[in-house]
Amino acid sequence: MKSIMNALLYMPPSLRERRRYLLFEVMCERELDKRDLLKEIWDSIYSLYGDVGGGEIKLRLIEYHNREERKSGVGILRCAHDKVEEVRASLACIHSVNGARVGIRVIKISGTIKGATRLRR
Amino acid sequence: MPNFFDLNVHAYPETEAPIEELLRVAKRYGYAGIAITNHDESVKERLNSNFIITGVEIRANSVLELKRKVTLHWGKVPLLAVHGSDDKLNRAAVEDSRVDILAHPCGEKGEGELNHVSVRYAAANGVAIDFNLGALIHNRRSDRARILDKMRETLKLVRKYNAPMILTSNAHSIYDLRAPQEMIALAALFGMSKEEATSALCDIPQGILEKRWKKERAVELL
Repeated sequence: MKSIMNALLYMPPSLRERRRYLLFEVMCERELDKRDLLKEIWDSIYSLYGDVGGGEIKLRLIEYHNREERKSGVGILRCAHDKVEEVRASLACIHSVNGARVGIRVIKISGTIKGATRLRR
Repeated sequence: MPNFFDLNVHAYPETEAPIEELLRVAKRYGYAGIAITNHDESVKERLNSNFIITGVEIRANSVLELKRKVTLHWGKVPLLAVHGSDDKLNRAAVEDSRVDILAHPCGEKGEGELNHVSVRYAAANGVAIDFNLGALIHNRRSDRARILDKMRETLKLVRKYNAPMILTSNAHSIYDLRAPQEMIALAALFGMSKEEATSALCDIPQGILEKRWKKERAVELL
């Protein structure tokens, strides 16, 4: 009995949602707050795809931090595996965050966080 | 790795963006070249780099002024673009085979028009129709919806008459530049397929710079 309960705690692999992790780079005029950036990304998604489309994208901001040396930052986003191009378009449509002009590009896409952050040779 | 080009970028002195900065960012984004097309004047500075293509974007209020300015700049710069605005000027621009690019034919805010006759002329004269993705980045809601609608219409005509088309950022600063993959994703918003968008960023700009369509036309005339 206990083993069945244990097995139910985990989602069967066939039902697990497939995700993509996007490593992105932000070029910005000044340092950005993580919360402001996420709000701007959501605004952009809603503006382009609406509430229904926004829900399907299943976006999460996993990590964001400003780089020290240059005016830029890097972060990781998570989204549904078939919505990568939509997320890309939404990111490209962002022109400013809290009044600071920004330009965002996606550097790498992977199925795991480890894969997205692995250094390229 | 294909060679990506962005053929409509505005730099200092028209904007605050120095050419060196634009060059650095565009290289980082993976472009093979960008064209500096300031309004009505080419950049005087000589850079020893074939990454930067000097061009000019002609802005005119009347057809006569347009013709005069095309004659003035033709042969002096490698790339001649015309600032698209209303129907009449767009028509005059595509009828002139000296023009390389008709930039943002729908206007920067989607106020212009491009009809099927103009697109047919563009195809015959080798004038590339430009889709200005900067307008999608900087506008929101009803403005953007209108621009997307116009672009969809234009794309339909361009496909029909097989006119050359390009994607540009119309960047005024380094923050307006977008990487090629992002440009392709933006082009998908108005129904352009990935293959079309890739060729609009690689082959067609290359062809414009080599004046491929102009040469074909010269052969036809002979």
